[in-house]
Amino acid sequence: MKEIRSKKFIFYTLLIISALVIFFPIFYAISVSFMSEGDVRARKLWPSDFTFSNYGSAFEQMPLLHYLKNSFIVSSVVMIGQLILSSLAAYTFAFLQFKGRNVLFFIFISTMLIPWEATMIPNFLMVQGLGWTNSYAGLTIPFFATAFGIFLLRQHFLTVPYELREASLIEGLGHFGFLTRVVVPYCKTSFITLGVYSFLTTWNMYLWPLLVTSDDSARTVQIGMKQLRSQEMATDWGGVMAGATIIVIPTLILLFLGQKQLQQGLTKGAIK
Amino acid sequence: MGLARNINQEPKSNKTSVRKSDLKVGLLFLAPSILLFSVFLFYPLVRTVYYSFHITDITGEQSVFVGMENYLFLFQDPVFYESLKATFLFVLYTVPTSIGVDLFLALLSNEKLKGIGFFRVIFSSTMGISAAASAVIWLFLFHPSVGFFNNVLNSLNLPVVQWLINPDWALLSVSITTIWMNLGFSFLILLGGLQNIDQTLYESAAIDGAGYFSRLWRITLPSLSPTLFFITTVTLINAFQSFGQIDILTGGGPNDATNLLVYSIYKEAFVNYHFGTASAQAIILFVFIFILTILQFKFAERKVHYQ
Amino acid sequence: MTLLKKGTAVLAAGFMAMSLAACSSNSSSGNASEKKEVAPVEKEGDKTVVRFWHAMGGDTQKVLGDIVQDYNESQEKYEIKAEFQGTYEESLTKFRSTKTSKTAPALVQSSEITTKYMIDSGKITPVQEWMDKDNYDTSQLEEAITNYYTVDDKMYSMPFNSSTPVLIYNKDAFKEAGLDPEKAPRTYSELQKAAKALTKKEGNSTKQYGFSMLNYGWFFEELLATQGGLYVDQENGREGTAEKAKFQGKEGERVFNLLNDMNKEGSLGNYGTNWDDIRAAFQSKQVAMYLDSSAGVRNTIDTADFNVGVAYIPHPDEVDSEGVIIGGASLWMTNMVSDETQQGAWDFMKYLATKEVQAKWHTGTGYSSINPDAYEEELVKEQYKKYPQLQVTVEQLQSTKKSPATQGALITVLPESREAIVKALESMYEGKDPKQALKEAAEATERAMKLSNRTAQK
Repeated sequence: MKEIRSKKFIFYTLLIISALVIFFPIFYAISVSFMSEGDVRARKLWPSDFTFSNYGSAFEQMPLLHYLKNSFIVSSVVMIGQLILSSLAAYTFAFLQFKGRNVLFFIFISTMLIPWEATMIPNFLMVQGLGWTNSYAGLTIPFFATAFGIFLLRQHFLTVPYELREASLIEGLGHFGFLTRVVVPYCKTSFITLGVYSFLTTWNMYLWPLLVTSDDSARTVQIGMKQLRSQEMATDWGGVMAGATIIVIPTLILLFLGQKQLQQGLTKGAIK
Repeated sequence: MGLARNINQEPKSNKTSVRKSDLKVGLLFLAPSILLFSVFLFYPLVRTVYYSFHITDITGEQSVFVGMENYLFLFQDPVFYESLKATFLFVLYTVPTSIGVDLFLALLSNEKLKGIGFFRVIFSSTMGISAAASAVIWLFLFHPSVGFFNNVLNSLNLPVVQWLINPDWALLSVSITTIWMNLGFSFLILLGGLQNIDQTLYESAAIDGAGYFSRLWRITLPSLSPTLFFITTVTLINAFQSFGQIDILTGGGPNDATNLLVYSIYKEAFVNYHFGTASAQAIILFVFIFILTILQFKFAERKVHYQ
Repeated sequence: MTLLKKGTAVLAAGFMAMSLAACSSNSSSGNASEKKEVAPVEKEGDKTVVRFWHAMGGDTQKVLGDIVQDYNESQEKYEIKAEFQGTYEESLTKFRSTKTSKTAPALVQSSEITTKYMIDSGKITPVQEWMDKDNYDTSQLEEAITNYYTVDDKMYSMPFNSSTPVLIYNKDAFKEAGLDPEKAPRTYSELQKAAKALTKKEGNSTKQYGFSMLNYGWFFEELLATQGGLYVDQENGREGTAEKAKFQGKEGERVFNLLNDMNKEGSLGNYGTNWDDIRAAFQSKQVAMYLDSSAGVRNTIDTADFNVGVAYIPHPDEVDSEGVIIGGASLWMTNMVSDETQQGAWDFMKYLATKEVQAKWHTGTGYSSINPDAYEEELVKEQYKKYPQLQVTVEQLQSTKKSPATQGALITVLPESREAIVKALESMYEGKDPKQALKEAAEATERAMKLSNRTAQK
């Protein structure tokens, strides 16, 4: 009994220390967002007089809600696009057989090796030529195809037992039916992983949206962050932290709510 | 639990009609991806190669063909080697540390303790914070005058550290920020991987009387190897492509200490408008990653146990 | 291995096919069309829309927003849409790749160092053309400012937010150190002495540094210009295309030696390249004197809890001060929009240059007024009563002697050159010999200029 208790104690201690260390930056940012300028300069840890004024100025300076909406739309569209295209391609590489399939797979994977920066400028010129600047199209379509997603899904698709395929053939399911009715549910965890990953990666994008949007119509929230810091004049740290908090809170809430789903989704694979 | 399929050992269909129809379906399914890859990846890559053999003026339109001149210049340019060094150091600082820390947290969070859910949420929270927001928060923490860290050092009467201004510290500070930023996602994946491990393996080990670390070494890590492989790949790719936090924290400085290859490409192209050298750097980066990934696949995948 | 070989072969074939496509599409560009294509006129109700790209964030964006709103409400013909594009660099990047489209801007704010690029870009209408059409009297504008944007007697852009460098100091700290708070150091030797007196040490750490300068190329250029030193040859690029760097000459050496000496003496604080960091250091009394932009003066005075003094930037003992180069940015009219839209842009430019609006801009931000009459406005006079220090910034600008040195360097690669200077400073602080550091910066600058000149010849 004692051994278990001291083990628990060790675990809890480690957990608590880790949690404090990791959560601290977020906590501090939120704290600063409520501070007056004097407190910020005096490097206080906790506001001496709680104020909402920073939030006011953050919202004043830019259409935050509009940016958040754009970010959300863009990230969701890319996520869906990637899920669809990747599953179609992964299916091909996992279940279909034809000459040159492996060569094609190799070529697809090799695209993972191309750093996006190597194609940024010609891509921008192309997007502009297509008239896709300041539009959701320019922010989403170029990213629908992802070797990473194809690879991830294909690995999981490979673990689908052959018996299931045979069974579906007997039932008369075509490829598409097999994909949607059998493979997708079987590999749910990878879909969730890919979905989360694409959403977040797109949400995070910084340079591309800045290049592609010159007005506010399709602008995403990362650009908004930049706007809070002015160049030649001093930065209002309270306002910046308020902006950062605003951007962070919705995703944190989503994460907290989705935690259970994510957890379940990721563990479901264990029990078959 | 069915047997996993080794795709190369599958009974190859003898019926050419099946293969033909597979081909048709395959091409149909692949068509959108092929189209997008061609337009937004392959074609621009070739354009970049083209640029790397030219020097362009400030509008990027007029260009003079110079053959290998850009590459030759880079190979004798100390600044380029600084970038390479910074990039490799950065990868060295962030990748193993990230994986180590994330694994540690995942193992902790895998224990059946009361309230463990709360801790899991905390640890995965950094996933929801973008590079821009993270960098801005850490910029504030690292601030030489009003930053928290120096504040603490001051109150302990220790000399303050120029976190982002001292070349020796700058790369470390950027690495710390990056590790923090990428915690959430890797943690969740590793946790998921841990929870996917067949519990019966542990039960039989418990009967044998194996201790915590012995179980860790003999069961957990090997079973986790596919997930670990995946996370390593992802972390490596992320490390090579880090941009946002460098832009906000250091701008590549001081004295090029944090001028990672990717950032250097951006600067050459968008600040100095030297598309030629920027493209040449991009191609060199491409070659590096290409070789690295091939090596990784050849050696590492052998060690991965698929169930 | 066969898979690898096959795959590579296919890739190689694909690449070759693509290269042909890529190369051929490139060679056909560059045929200048006879008639310049312009964006269709955009209307909002009855008003013609004029898109205005700017890089003003934070507080300055607020003031700008107010001014734009006032203008839009004051007349029925034009509607200005002010669109934030990021930093000057990001804005320029976008502008570079922008072609005529319905969202093309009519007005672009671009920083002073991009002047030569903008002129050469072929995308702008020199503002002189509209001035001539309107018989606009440019003498009502501040000469020291318009000089920068005038080449061969032609004014290319309309100045908008102009700043100058100043020396900001802590008057209370001066008193404490036994220095006269009303007499700021003017020469290098005075500066060095004052910095030494103001440096406070406590054991091994320095609690207060005497002086600091942001690692930013602009300040170096200013310290150079105030000595009458040229940055590049060909009269700073204003008589012809510059090819050689001149900043590593004796004027530049004086600046670097000053900084190096103070650094060795321990009186120089190093706060990196971030404006915030150095200002925060001043606010928290970690440094007693520093160089800043006039645009930040008012904010600094407001936030400080001690008395703040503002003075001219220092000059070496051997020479007289010749003044300063203006910094900041100006407004460029693009030729990507129709004449009607350009007319609207011009009208807005004129509005911005009136003394009332300049008074508002000057007092709201701290940027210098481009219209000297603004200083007579009540608004400004009130402001000066509260902030007499602001007058120093105006006096320094107006006492500038016109010369190629104070006109500023006109080269396309100034951003890159500034990076080289920053690097030189950083390496000098790490121990490199100042002369060597300057030499390397000069070499980097010359290489950049050579590359730029090679492509310009086509």
